[in-house]
Formats: sequence, C-alpha cells, structure tokens
Amino acid sequence: MTVDVQRNESPGGLLGWVDTRLHLGPFINALLHVRIPRDAKTFYLGGITLFLFGIQVVTGTLLALYYRPTPDAAYESVLSITSDVQFGWLIRSVHHWAANLMLVFLVLHLLRIFAQAAYKYPREITWIVGGGLLLITIGFGFTGYLLPWDQRAYWATVVGTEIAGGVPLIGSSLLLLLRGGAEVSEATLGRFFGIHVLVLPLLLAGLLALHLLFVHQQGLANPKRAEPRPGRVTAQQPPEKLKPFFPDYILDEVIAWYAVLAGLVILASLFPAGLEPKADPLVTPEHIKPEWYFLAVYQLLKLVPETVGVVAPVILVTIIVLLPLLDRNQEIRPRRRPIAILLALILLVGMAVLTYFGGR
Amino acid sequence: MRSLRPFLLPGLLAVGSLFLASIATAGAPAGDPASGHGALQVSQATPTPEVPLESAPPLPTPITHRGDASSTGCVDCHSKVDNKQAGIADDWRASIHGKEGVGCADCHGGDPTSDEITVGMAQAAGFQGVPDREVTVGLCGSCHANAERMRPYQVATDQYSKYFSSVHGQRLLTANDDRVAICTDCHGSHGVKPASDPTAAVYPLNVPALCASCHADATKMESYGIPTDQYDLYKVSVHGVQLLEAQDLRAPTCASCHGSHAAKPPRSDEVVAVCGNCHTATQALYEESAHSRLERVGPKCWTCHGTHDVSEPNESLFLHEGGVPEYVCATCHSPTDQSLRLEMDRFEDPGDRRCDTCHHERSLIYSQVEAIAGAIGGARTAYDTALLRIDDAASLGMIVADADVAAQEAKTELIKARAAVHTTKLTTISELTDATVAKAGAAEALANAKLADSDFRRQAMVVVIALIALNVLVLIGLRRRLHAQA
Repeated sequence: MTVDVQRNESPGGLLGWVDTRLHLGPFINALLHVRIPRDAKTFYLGGITLFLFGIQVVTGTLLALYYRPTPDAAYESVLSITSDVQFGWLIRSVHHWAANLMLVFLVLHLLRIFAQAAYKYPREITWIVGGGLLLITIGFGFTGYLLPWDQRAYWATVVGTEIAGGVPLIGSSLLLLLRGGAEVSEATLGRFFGIHVLVLPLLLAGLLALHLLFVHQQGLANPKRAEPRPGRVTAQQPPEKLKPFFPDYILDEVIAWYAVLAGLVILASLFPAGLEPKADPLVTPEHIKPEWYFLAVYQLLKLVPETVGVVAPVILVTIIVLLPLLDRNQEIRPRRRPIAILLALILLVGMAVLTYFGGR
Repeated sequence: MRSLRPFLLPGLLAVGSLFLASIATAGAPAGDPASGHGALQVSQATPTPEVPLESAPPLPTPITHRGDASSTGCVDCHSKVDNKQAGIADDWRASIHGKEGVGCADCHGGDPTSDEITVGMAQAAGFQGVPDREVTVGLCGSCHANAERMRPYQVATDQYSKYFSSVHGQRLLTANDDRVAICTDCHGSHGVKPASDPTAAVYPLNVPALCASCHADATKMESYGIPTDQYDLYKVSVHGVQLLEAQDLRAPTCASCHGSHAAKPPRSDEVVAVCGNCHTATQALYEESAHSRLERVGPKCWTCHGTHDVSEPNESLFLHEGGVPEYVCATCHSPTDQSLRLEMDRFEDPGDRRCDTCHHERSLIYSQVEAIAGAIGGARTAYDTALLRIDDAASLGMIVADADVAAQEAKTELIKARAAVHTTKLTTISELTDATVAKAGAAEALANAKLADSDFRRQAMVVVIALIALNVLVLIGLRRRLHAQA
C-alpha cells in the first residue's frame, strides 16, 4: 500500500495508469484516512484475530493442495504433508497453532469490547455480527479437528457430535445431519471438509466484511466517553482528542502482528502438530478428550443431566451474542456496571474451573 | 542328590577328560554328522513304568421314574421346607438342567408326580436320596456318556471315560478315596451351569481358583504329599497374569495343561506336546534342536521355563549371573553308569534354570551358549537403542510413524531370533540377530534423521525470529520518526 493517496492528481507509473482508469484514490483515502480517539485502547486484539485468519487462509489453501478428504486417504495424506512435503510440517503446525491462537485472541477481543462497554449504542450490530464470527470460528475448530482422521480426531468428533445429539427435540436430527449417517464415517469426513474449506470461509468472509464495514462507519469506541444518543441532552465535553488511523495505528498493529508471528513460529517449531494412530472405529481410546475450548462443556456434561449440559451453553452463547439487546444500562465505566462485570467474572472463573477439571 | 557329590567328584575327575569329550560332541552344532546319537552315552533307560490304568466301571443305566421335569411334586413341597431347600429349588430352576428338562427324580429317583411324601419319596418309587460320592460320577455319566441322550445338546460324551483315566478317578477306583474331586465338586449339583457361563465355577477365568479350592488347601493335600503352592506360583506367572488380570481367555488355565476331566500332570515326554498345543511354532523349532534329539534325557520346556511359575523369558535364562554355578555331575549324568540323564530337582529354583546348569564352562557348548547369549543380547540392545531414539524424536513432537514401522520390523526379527534359541543352532540364531540389528539400525537411522530435522527446525526458528525482530526494530524506528514529526 504505497499509493500516495494524499495527492489529488494521479501518480505516474503503473499505479498512475491504474488510478487514471479506476479513480481509486478517494476510496482508499476514505478507507485509510480516518481518525480514531487517542484514548481508544484496542490492544490490537481484533486486528491480530484478523491477521491469524489471514494466516489460516494461506496455510489452509496450501494444506488443501495435498489433503484428501476420504477415510482411506485422509490420514496418509496428513502424514505425507507432515513427513514428506517440503515445509509441510511447518504449514500444518502453523495452521494448527494459528487456529488455537485465533480463538484465544477472538475471545480476548470480545472481553476487551465487553470491559470497555463498546457493544453499547451505537455498536450493537457490530457486536452481534462479531458473535456470529465467534460461532463460525468455533465451527472451524470443530470441523477442522476431524480432518487428520487420527484416533483423537475421530473419537473427539464422536463425542462432540453426541453432545450435539443431546439437544432437546432436534438432537437426533442434528446428530444425523452432522454425521451424515448414524456413525462418524466417510460421509462425516466429506461434509466436515466441505464445511471447513468452503461454507465457513465464505460465511466468515461475508460477516467479517460487514464487521469491518461497521467498525469503519462508527470509528473506534472511546472507553472514556459514552457516545451521545440522539434526542438526549448530554453535558458539554471538551473536544475529543484524535489521532490518524494511518499510519500511526496501523504501524502499531503491524508490530503486534509481527510479535504474534514470532510466537507462531516458536510454537510451530518447538511443538509441531502431532498425529496419533489412524482412526479405528473398533478401538475406543481409554481417554477421549475434546479440544481445550470444548473442555468446559465436556466437564459440565459430567456434572449435570445431559439436557441441562447441552442447553445451558446454547443459552449462554445466545445471551452473549444478544448481549447489547439485553443489557440496557447506558453506563460504560466498569465501576458503574458492577452486575455485568461481576456476572462476567463469575462466568470466566466458572469456565476456567470447568476447563481445568475437564482437562485433568 | 547333592549328598552324592563328595563321592562323585573324585571319581568323575578320573574320567573327566572322557566326559568332556562326550559333552563336547553333544554340543557340536546340529547338522554336523559327527554329532549323531551313536557318539553319545545316552541313557535311554525307560522311565518308571506306567501303572496300568484301572478301567472305568460299567456305565449305569439312567434312573427311570414316573413323570418328567414338568412334574412339580418335589419342588412344591421342598421349596416350602426352609430357605435352604427353597434355594436348592431356585438353583435348579436357573441351572442348565432345569432349563433342559432334567428334573429332581433324574438324579434322586422317586415319583415327582405325587405331592405325597410317602409316595414321592418311597423306596418303592425308586427314591434314592442324596447319591453317594462314589456313585455320583456314574449317575452323571449315565446321561452324559450316552451319545444318543446328549445328541440334542452337541456336547462331548467322553467325560466319564476321561474322568476314570484321571488321577482323581483312578484314586476313586483303586483306593476308594471319595475325597477326590468328583463331577459335583467342580460343576455344582443343583445349580449346574454350562462352562460358557461366566458365573460358572468351570468358566475358564474361574478354573484356577476352582482347582485351588482343594489344591491350595494344605489340610486337604496333606495326606497326598503334594505341594500346595501351584496357585500362588501360577497367579504371578505370565499365564496367570494374562488370564486372571488381562482376562485373556487364550491364556492357559490349569485344565489347559492337566486336562479337566482327565486331570493328571503331564509326563516329561508329554510336556513338549502340551506346551506345543499353544506354542506351536516354538515346538517346531525345539524339535529341530540337539535337546529334542536327546529325547527323554534332554531338557524339556519346563527345564528352562518352569511349570506353574513360567515367567517372561529373557536373556538371563542363558547363564548364571555372577559366574558359573557349582556344577553337580549328577544333574546330567547317572551316578551309576555316567550315562546322560536329567535331574529335574536341580531346576526347582528358577535361578538354576540356566544353560550352564548342565553345560560346563569348559565345554564347547558353553562357548556356543555364550555366543548365542551375546547375539541375542546384541540384537536386544540394538532394538532398545532404536526405540530410545524414536522416543527422543517423538518427545520433540516429530512424527515417527516410519521409524515405528521399521522398529516393528526389527522387533519381528528379534522375536524370531529369540524363538530360534529353541533350535540351539548358533548359525540360525545369528542370521536372525543380524537381521534384527540391521533393521533396528534402519529404524535408528530414521529416528536420527528426525532428531537432525528437529535441530534444523530450532536453528531455523532462531534465524526467523531474528529476522522478525529486525523488522520490528525498523518499524519501531519508523514509529519514532513519525512521532517526532508530529
């Protein structure tokens, strides 16, 4: 992005040749040259999540060149990617770790927005779309986990789909829909692959575009002052201090991306993605555990009746996604929102405890 | 036998050279025409002659009576007498007999169609009460040895004749000893269950405890003068652990080696065939060996592996640890004519089940044993080393599937080499240990390649992190300039 967009006349050379035809200057101007509150503290979490998604698209595409989505060939193709393909281990390990980190940063981003009350007027829709992005990301994790077709993948999916089968009323249909049959089989692998590489990426790209468009339209929230609501008299405040989005903020964001990239390289090098023995529907491993982000639900199911254990997380996720519609408190300072903050803390501690015991 | 040593040793020293020569000849590799039997002073004296078996008594005819199993006269009353009697009725109903229409009167006689005690249990109606232990076997046999009677159930009908060939049956017949096990001691009386029923005392997993209920009881065994430690030894043996702990029904129970109805300890000349029932391949290898050619006086499976206390075999079975043992001539040579023999008592202690208990350290065979032990030990070390390297690579997160496959191939060769020890042929064993070492080497090379790859990844990681750090430094510089401009 080296276009000198501040000049009104088109630049020379190739870029000028393009610009004289498409007149992209004003568009890029509008995209980049926005001003953001100097007090805005994003910790670059949303941007990092976006960066990790980009990494997933690139590494995922490369993996798809070698991966074969049938029970006969899936395991061997992953083995070949990891052992034979040049730098295949790196691509697969980065894909594996970036998937985990993407979810981590997405949740941190959500917590930042929650703590700063940035989901309130006028950004309710942005939050709800963000909730959709969270669900899609979990869906990526769930569908991607099966693809190596090793014992862990197979049995985690057996357990995971069984949990889905516990949903009241629609459980059995949902189970059949997810598995494409009574058992986790070739049909399951086929649809999980299709969903993972086609359905979810398209959905995510669409929602992400909306999410970014909304953020662009509304600008970043200022955690120190609530947005004035139409028709309400607000006390006169000193003018908001602003700073340019480009290049100031973007520069910091890119430094954060580099830091995450370094973390990814270290994780992928020291803890490369492993592979268990090939899936065997006739041999149930002693301990079947789902991925870490499902451990809380997994542990909850051990403690409460199945229906409660399945319905409670669904209700919780619904509440989280629809939070801006439920939380009518206009206050944005955390100290003035004790109930919301306390409930969130209880939820976080509860999930951490469940995850800890689920993982033991 | 140890008491003979002071007398034997001086005598044997005198003819020592002659003996060493004969031992050396016995130790020549198989296939060597010079090592034929003719060169050996092998005592092929027949063992203690078998006592001819007392034949089974004539099979009694089944009890005849009025009515059939649907006649409820007996149960109607007896289930009301007391809890014990009611329990007997319940056991019978749940038993295979109760289900297949074998009623009370089939064993006890009487008239089950009558509710009157004076009729149902009248001697005139053939009532016999509780059968004596001596007649019980015949009573069971009257149906169970009848092929026509047993045809619908597709079960064997040889239990009666087998029983009277057993130690139990023979004692019952010849000594009139009714303390020996009879049918009902193992199968129960009223609650007889098929052997396939996991709750039956005769279900394979329960057989060792069933036999031990008498054979581990010192009081019961006292008058027979037989040991009572078999169950304790069996429980911790490879066979016992596999059956009782792993619940692996392929593992042998007492009955697998001794027989069930025909229970009797296998004879020395039977033991190879008994073990070979399961260890078929090992038996075939043993039969190629110099040991096998010695027939009765040669070491058998139990000489090295024991009987009830069979443990996981390993290289320690070759030679005594910490030097040669005290050789006892009488272990292998008859004190009277110095011909070859095998003194089984010498192998009671598992620590003495070693090649050098027989093969003197100055014999050719001893050096051959050393060579075999060295070859097997070397193969084992090569395999273990490969496994360690594979573990190292796996613990670094490397995918070691191909090295695992190579190690598995090495393991197959090692298993074959260890089994080939039974042939006592150094060349056969060496070929297999060489193959083990070669395949273990291939597995280790694959693991080493993974380790090298892991090292490369770490070095490359440092370079990449350094490049990223450089980029970040440049960006931080840019940022400073930007802020300075502002």
